[in-house]
Amino acid sequence: MSIMDHNGGSVIAMVGKDCVAIASDLRLGNQALGISSNFQRVFGITDRIYLGLPGLATDVNTLRERFRFRVNMYTIKEEREIEPEAFAHLVSSTLYEHRFGPYFIEPVIAGLSKTPTGGIRPFIAATDLIGCINFAKDFVVSGTASSKLFGVAEGLWEPDLEPEDLFETISQTLLNAVDRDAFSGWGAVVHVITKDKVITRKLKARMD
Amino acid sequence: METSFALTGKGYVIVAADTTSARSIVKMKNDEDKIKTVSPHLLMSYSGEPGDTVQFAEYIERNLRLYQIRNLYPLRPSAAASWIRRSLAESLRSRSPYSVNLLVGGYDTSTHEPKLYWIDYLGTVSEVPFAAHGYGSYFVLSLLDRYHDPEAPLEEGLATLKRCIQEVSKRLIVSPEKYKVKVVDKDGVREVEL
Amino acid sequence: MARRYDSKIAKVSKVVHNYQYDITFQVAQLYSRLKAWAPHCILCFYTYNSLSGRLYQIEYAMEAISHAGTVLGVLAKDGVVLAAEKKVTGKLLDLSGAKAGGYGGSGEKIFLLNSNMIGGVAGLTADANSLVNYARSAAQRHLLAYNDDIPVELLAQKLCDLKQGYTQFGGLRPFGVSILYAGYDPHYEFQLYHSDPSGNYSGWKATCIGANNGTAQSLLKQEYKDDIVVKDAIGLVLRTMSKTMDSTTLSSEKLEFAVLTLDEATKTPKAKIYRPAEIDALLQTEGLIKKDDDAEMKST
Repeated sequence: MSIMDHNGGSVIAMVGKDCVAIASDLRLGNQALGISSNFQRVFGITDRIYLGLPGLATDVNTLRERFRFRVNMYTIKEEREIEPEAFAHLVSSTLYEHRFGPYFIEPVIAGLSKTPTGGIRPFIAATDLIGCINFAKDFVVSGTASSKLFGVAEGLWEPDLEPEDLFETISQTLLNAVDRDAFSGWGAVVHVITKDKVITRKLKARMD
Repeated sequence: METSFALTGKGYVIVAADTTSARSIVKMKNDEDKIKTVSPHLLMSYSGEPGDTVQFAEYIERNLRLYQIRNLYPLRPSAAASWIRRSLAESLRSRSPYSVNLLVGGYDTSTHEPKLYWIDYLGTVSEVPFAAHGYGSYFVLSLLDRYHDPEAPLEEGLATLKRCIQEVSKRLIVSPEKYKVKVVDKDGVREVEL
Repeated sequence: MARRYDSKIAKVSKVVHNYQYDITFQVAQLYSRLKAWAPHCILCFYTYNSLSGRLYQIEYAMEAISHAGTVLGVLAKDGVVLAAEKKVTGKLLDLSGAKAGGYGGSGEKIFLLNSNMIGGVAGLTADANSLVNYARSAAQRHLLAYNDDIPVELLAQKLCDLKQGYTQFGGLRPFGVSILYAGYDPHYEFQLYHSDPSGNYSGWKATCIGANNGTAQSLLKQEYKDDIVVKDAIGLVLRTMSKTMDSTTLSSEKLEFAVLTLDEATKTPKAKIYRPAEIDALLQTEGLIKKDDDAEMKST
């Protein structure tokens, strides 16, 4: 039993047409025993960046607080909000600082970045627990249900989905994957990030 | 075996912990108070490695007291829970980690809400309507799933708590004989006899 | 000679080790290092030298501040209002960067210290910037430790600890800055504090620092009502500013303005530092922009 699976939990992010979505389950467990069905592991970093932190729950809290500290200092000194690419590298370097005693978290980043022409471009990425970044064009998965998420996402995802269709795709992917995983589930939350707003919805899931 | 549980209700939190102090297979004492009043509206039950528990609980107690002396008002429950969590998380990656599990229950006097936090020795914190630590948790949590009501008055809350205690004594092989029960609400902390 | 100083320093640093988080000891350490580098200069380092026990450097700093740009704050029932006078440096100063600024304001007098706190500074700009930096870091450190915004008085206290440290040791001058803090926390809700170069601080319903602060304070004393709301406080602040400032007309060129209220939906503090265009619009609605008749006369 790996320490990565101690508390359970999974996160997935997907690219759509001028939008991205990130979703996660809400279970906090202590091995097989469920403790909470409302454990938030996806956090808003800016209006356009969300970060998912599946893995050991103590490190979810620690990293959340550390990233908020770093991003707030960045925002106030630079007088602008951080871009997803820069944030991904901040995540990566923070994790690599602990190369030989890592945080047991494999983060997922979803956001919209600004293009030089003034438009927006979807951005998703995931890293391993020591900060090796995987930039993806379609979807990224992480957590105890990652193998199942890969399978379902591979079958359901298609390019250029509109926000509502992307919401349906990511929701179905997550719900069906976590039902096959004993350590994930117990409710789910989805964020769809579009140009002018973020749609956040809680999903009804199997509670067994 | 060590067991502690807590539940919220309408404007209050009940925290209960067994009173046995054991070394190996021997019961050394059966009137140990394992719930500390760490500030006027905050209770903390602790269990885990003997020695670590009291040491860590006193460290928390004195530091929260120092904050209150310096600033004239105590930390709010959420801030206190976050600070306690951080202390444990830092300790986890130190040379000698504390192995202490906590339930932190309090009444937030500025928002007028009861708050309960489940904290384990890794530094995991989660705000929950009810919580438990120890072997009793395997029986009690499913029971509370069925009977807990966040809007219940104190009498009902205490009745639910009695159910929990009965269940543990019925099903757990080595069940504790006595519990200490404390309540925190808008008037502060008090002990209750069941 | 040098060796003798070294042994002294060694003694001091032993004590310092136990109190490494105490700011006054950090300053003491700085001073003893200075001694080691330039022992011949020690005689010229004195913060105070007076039989009456007065600290002249602080008095000089306070005197300097009373000539600086005015900063005015009013505490209302449902918010806090802050305004500051900018000293116009000249036409050639490039302000284009400030206009597009991240969180509003031109970053000269009014600063966002934390999501629940705004600071208005009067005095030496360079010293003020350093204090604002310190305040922002302190607020974020508190957020990291307690997962909760820093209480207003606590941040004011932290800055005062730092300021006080610089009044106690020779060879260092005090910060030449007074600050008004407008903030919100769940303990005491809306608050307004003032701190001076000596490290004293106090809470106020309405107060003013900088040039003409006496005039402004007596005006505020007359007009302030205990149950004032933000909408009326904005008017009171702007009217008092227009009376105390040297120039006849108010405009965004000379004024910085900020309001701290509570967000209706989320019940969290909302700090708004006005942008230049928003200040002009506000002055228009408050009827404080006078038509420049003289200019029209000349053109005809």
